[in-house]
Amino acid sequence: MLSRVASNLYWLARYLERAENMARILDVGQLLALVSRGPDYESTAIEPLVITNTLEDFDNAGMARTPENVAAYLAWDDLHGSSIFNCLRASRENARAVRSDITTEMWEDINNTWLQLLQKRHQEQRPADSAFFEWVKERSHLFRGITFATIRRDQPYHFIRLGTFIERADNTARILSVKQHNQARSSTGKKGMSAQPGGKGAEAAAVAGTGRQSQSQGQGAIAGGPPRGHEITDYYRLSAVLRSVSAFEAYRDTYRDAVDESRVAELLIIDPTLPRSLRFCFDEIVRILDVLPDATAKPARRLAATIHAGLAYTDIQDIESRGLAEFLEEFLKETGELGDAVYQAYLELK
Amino acid sequence: MEEPKVELLPPAPGGYDEMLLGDGSVRPHYEAYQEWLRSRSAASMARKRAEADLIFRRTGITFSVYGDESGTERLIPSDVVPRIISAEDWSFLERGLAQRVKAINRFLSDIYNVQDILRAGLIPADQILINDQYQVGMVGVAVPHQTYAHIVGVDMVRHNDGEFYVLEDNLRVPSGVSYMLSNRKMMMRLFPELFQKYSVRPVEHYPSMLLETLNAASLQDRPTVVLLTPGPYNSAYFEHAFLAQQMGVELVEGQDLFVEDGYVYMRTTSGRQRVDVIYRRLDDVFLDPLAFRPDSALGVPGLMAAYRLGNVVISNAIGTGVADDKSIYPYVPDMIRFYLGEEPLLKNVPTYQCRKPDDLAYVLAHLPELVVKEVHGAGGYGMLVGPTSTKEEIEKFREILLHHPEGYIAQPTLSLSTCPTFVEEGVAPRHLDLRPFVLTGREIRIVPGGLTRVALRKGSLVVNSSQGGGTKDTWVVD
Repeated sequence: MLSRVASNLYWLARYLERAENMARILDVGQLLALVSRGPDYESTAIEPLVITNTLEDFDNAGMARTPENVAAYLAWDDLHGSSIFNCLRASRENARAVRSDITTEMWEDINNTWLQLLQKRHQEQRPADSAFFEWVKERSHLFRGITFATIRRDQPYHFIRLGTFIERADNTARILSVKQHNQARSSTGKKGMSAQPGGKGAEAAAVAGTGRQSQSQGQGAIAGGPPRGHEITDYYRLSAVLRSVSAFEAYRDTYRDAVDESRVAELLIIDPTLPRSLRFCFDEIVRILDVLPDATAKPARRLAATIHAGLAYTDIQDIESRGLAEFLEEFLKETGELGDAVYQAYLELK
Repeated sequence: MEEPKVELLPPAPGGYDEMLLGDGSVRPHYEAYQEWLRSRSAASMARKRAEADLIFRRTGITFSVYGDESGTERLIPSDVVPRIISAEDWSFLERGLAQRVKAINRFLSDIYNVQDILRAGLIPADQILINDQYQVGMVGVAVPHQTYAHIVGVDMVRHNDGEFYVLEDNLRVPSGVSYMLSNRKMMMRLFPELFQKYSVRPVEHYPSMLLETLNAASLQDRPTVVLLTPGPYNSAYFEHAFLAQQMGVELVEGQDLFVEDGYVYMRTTSGRQRVDVIYRRLDDVFLDPLAFRPDSALGVPGLMAAYRLGNVVISNAIGTGVADDKSIYPYVPDMIRFYLGEEPLLKNVPTYQCRKPDDLAYVLAHLPELVVKEVHGAGGYGMLVGPTSTKEEIEKFREILLHHPEGYIAQPTLSLSTCPTFVEEGVAPRHLDLRPFVLTGREIRIVPGGLTRVALRKGSLVVNSSQGGGTKDTWVVD
């Protein structure tokens, strides 16, 4: 299989997954804003910006920090490399470059998503509401389903899955870490979301300051977190985290108890059965790397196995004793390195 | 309430209509279609048309139009009325096309090797040897089976005398075959009942014929074939991806290939892989920055060297453009006589070569009646259609011709036959051409039909998609 094609498939999946996660974050963010009109209103509103490390760009655009503005910005902004619009565009551009390597159904579906998105963009009022975010999620689910049902279990499939799970692990960790960030008032900065080398998304991301180049931006951008021990808000906050990764029901089934910060972290980090947990993602990643060609795979496999071991042979007490924020920061850094290792093993045109 | 029937507008007198005779009666091979059409309502045809558009857009069958900033992808309108060719006409065309392509391949092999035709004085040597399209690097290269042009798309029109004329032999990277295939798929989906009335010869096997042709172009037993595209931003990218997928070969860009020790490889996730046949969809000058344009990033450095060593087959061969140059076109009938000892079956359009003083004088005196074309032009750009041009446009061309006569040829304006076409005012006659695709592998094969392009504007003779033309499904019926 051509390296360029592998790269296109990998990024097709990453950008689609990123669009879906962005929609999840924004959807929950808006719900949350409805119940928290207190002093933490603004910090709640800007959380999606903190997750994607683009608060500064948002402020530079001169908009008030309201949930509506944040949602519109992250859904449609041209310059924001990880806006839903740009993610879906990058995903479809990648699909277009490899349309002979994916099934007709897959191509038609993602092309259809793009055409519908263009229609929405040309509406008088560009939608950035719950219905729109639902639509994004559905389109992503649909593509995944079509992929599952139509493509041969061969390299193209594996690269699509690899992109999906690396992106998802990154996104889940970001969602968790921003809550952490907020509540513990951790002062650490966060790395921007990675972008496709040489791709359109990469250019846009570089402009918006979310590319690899801009790791240090946005440090200490959170002005004021909510007061600790604000129980009502905490409940909604944690529920929101769970809902944004479709894990609310899973939490209820697993713990049958009140929503508690430590358990939420346990569920999203080390539960092996939850499809968006870090552990689940790395179970998949390790398996996928195992079936990909092995000539150049050693560094990527070693790194994936190391991260996987850190998730599989640990418990939440262990993680908390080291500090959850530090754990997540380390995880995000290593996942970024894994992306680089995958790139060097398979995708780079040497 | 019953919807009003579709209105059938009559063709202009004096022209050749594919469906109707001069007295208004229907040609036999169109009878069943016309009867069916008369029973249709205008609204139902419009609905089918909208359905077709929707499906084309959803499947991404789009085309880029140069000079259009607003959108990079546009649909080529696909008409819902087929162009029907009788079995008799087709069997004649088939023989004529095979004859023509055979002679052209002999010609290419000749001018890059022994040059008999030049020695015989049939074509002035300078017209070949200093032609931009003549690739000196191809002289003496052993091309497998002496086949240079494996894939040829011949542009033809039917004049008001009822005869087919060849307008142009596209020998470089002829495109449009994906529209032929998509149009058929669309028509079968929209009007299955018509395919019960008619026995339409199938075209769907074109990709497998193409693959066989490319396999046969190599001396290897089971060659690795790739399709080389300039990339997603090329106007014909859809077609490249479509054909690669249908043939089950890799769709590669220049950056995916490299040359080492005289062999061509592609970069894959499991390392390098040898490539034996490259079906290239980019022009000669972009193929290899070391041999041609050094600023081109689309090609593969060292490709020409590998090709000269015989380690890879490029299809069509490099340097085929010299034979479809408009300045060489007038000599094709002579080539047929010279190489095959046969009389040409298909007619050439009489052509005035402005490089010749007598011809130039005639052209300048008759500009309002003639079509003037750039020798190296393509796609309907940079041409003058005398009868439909303004005085100013004609005078502008006169100036150009006086300064660069060698860059132009001129031809009488052919009337181009018309065919019923679904347009705003009903089903009305519109002018069209025909591009059949001729494949040369172990033998010469042609799928029945080809691409029919239609000028959607009333009276227009320009069918190019870049100039507002559409396409039609093309039926050869028994």
